[in-house]
Amino acid sequence: MQALLAYLDPGSGSMLLQLLLGGAAAVGIGFKMTWRRMLRFLRLDKKQSDPEAPAA
Amino acid sequence: MSAATIEPGSFRDPHSRVVEADGAVLRLLSSQGLRDWDALSASELFRRAVAEGKLVGTEVEPDGLASLPDALVDGAAAVLRHEVVPFVSYPYEWTFAMLKDAALLQLELLRGALDENLILKDSSPYNVQWRGAEPVFIDVGSFEALREGEPWVGYRQFCMLFLYPLLLQAYKGIPFQPWLRGRLDGIEPQACRDLMSFRDLFRSGVLSHVVLHARLERSQADSDRDVKRELGKAGFKKELIVANVNRLERLVRKLEWRPGASEWSDYGPRGHYTDADSGAKDEFVRRAAAERDWELVWDLGCNDGRFSRIVAEHARTVVAMDADAAVVDRLYRSLREDGQTSILPLFVDLVDPSPALGWRGAERRTLSDRGSPELTLCLALIHHVAISGNVPVRDFLEWLRSLETKLVIEFPTTDDPLVKRLLARKQEGTHPDYERGYFERCLGELFDVGSSEELSSGTRVLYVAQPKV
Repeated sequence: MQALLAYLDPGSGSMLLQLLLGGAAAVGIGFKMTWRRMLRFLRLDKKQSDPEAPAA
Repeated sequence: MSAATIEPGSFRDPHSRVVEADGAVLRLLSSQGLRDWDALSASELFRRAVAEGKLVGTEVEPDGLASLPDALVDGAAAVLRHEVVPFVSYPYEWTFAMLKDAALLQLELLRGALDENLILKDSSPYNVQWRGAEPVFIDVGSFEALREGEPWVGYRQFCMLFLYPLLLQAYKGIPFQPWLRGRLDGIEPQACRDLMSFRDLFRSGVLSHVVLHARLERSQADSDRDVKRELGKAGFKKELIVANVNRLERLVRKLEWRPGASEWSDYGPRGHYTDADSGAKDEFVRRAAAERDWELVWDLGCNDGRFSRIVAEHARTVVAMDADAAVVDRLYRSLREDGQTSILPLFVDLVDPSPALGWRGAERRTLSDRGSPELTLCLALIHHVAISGNVPVRDFLEWLRSLETKLVIEFPTTDDPLVKRLLARKQEGTHPDYERGYFERCLGELFDVGSSEELSSGTRVLYVAQPKV
């Protein structure tokens, strides 16, 4: 998947900031992202066994 | 084609590399790069931006692959040919208004790209060059297809190389050029944060693009989180990028730099000349310039650009340089208003000129490596270089000789009020070589002096000279 990676490191913090700067339009996405993280934290995420999912 | 070389500054993007061959500027595309080019060249944005002069003219070079050496085109899928920019310059040689206009061009093209489901993969001011005082985006290889769910990869780079330098100058009065020259990647979010005071937190853009940016970056520094993937899965969408770009554009548009009284600006552009001197000097320069048409002229110590404009009547490109950023900024804005496209104003201190920078010291080139002038104006400058800059008079003339250029040079004598003022700041006897007789002897040894004229005030002498063979 080399071709899909940018040559520039976008920076994790910079990407998160783009979500925070999104205002109202980003609320739903932010909520969904937090929800998914919470499920993963509680090990309730169905995709835990998905081989494509990151190990962490 | 002979003598084709990879441009040393273009190695970062593996899908798009620039090659210089016999004065032509070519671009080698990988198969991915070719797909991106196909998408861009079919877009309305490309047609419009090229027609408006905002994007460099580009076409496919049909026999490009066959005409270049095999080793060079290994892995390349196509070759593009670009319109050649008259003189390459770097952001640390631009003034505030230039960097601001380059930032606005970058954002305008990005928004246009997003409209057609394309995006710019980076946000580097090194992708902007100038036709005179008109900015032109040169990196056609930056455009690629927008990937759904992916944030703007170039946002951080936009902050580091465009926004933070502009904020520093607009809000703090700190010249950005030494920062950009000191680090080609620009100013880190945390470094910019550290430069901001409590008062600055209330200025537009600081809290969000600087403070929050630095904090989030710190918090993510040691994290293994795949944020890009998380954002994609949560449904990150193009509208968020568009909103951010629009917000940045409003912010950048509002930024202004009001320079304090600089060494030059405080006594007016031509306060030290009588009208008679000024007219005679104009005429002298006009005569020297009218001899033929010039491809490239350098106006060293250009001040308000009066002589650049005179010479521009006979030149394809005049690079107007001055060590006072406020003066160059004013010149840039006035050239922009006039729609001048043959005079490129640059902030350059000849005593401390742009060095070779970057990987192998070859990514960014020195001033003289970027093109030799056929004619050089050096008016009302030598006293600054020799007295303020402490460069020996002969050394300065030897450097001018090394440019292999026809020279129009002015020598203000030690009776000139400005020379007196500069000498008064120094210990007596520090500049014994700053003397008309010695100057003329050195000039005569290095150049064939064609004509000279003493202005009516008697304290300024003009010379036209050709380098001795």
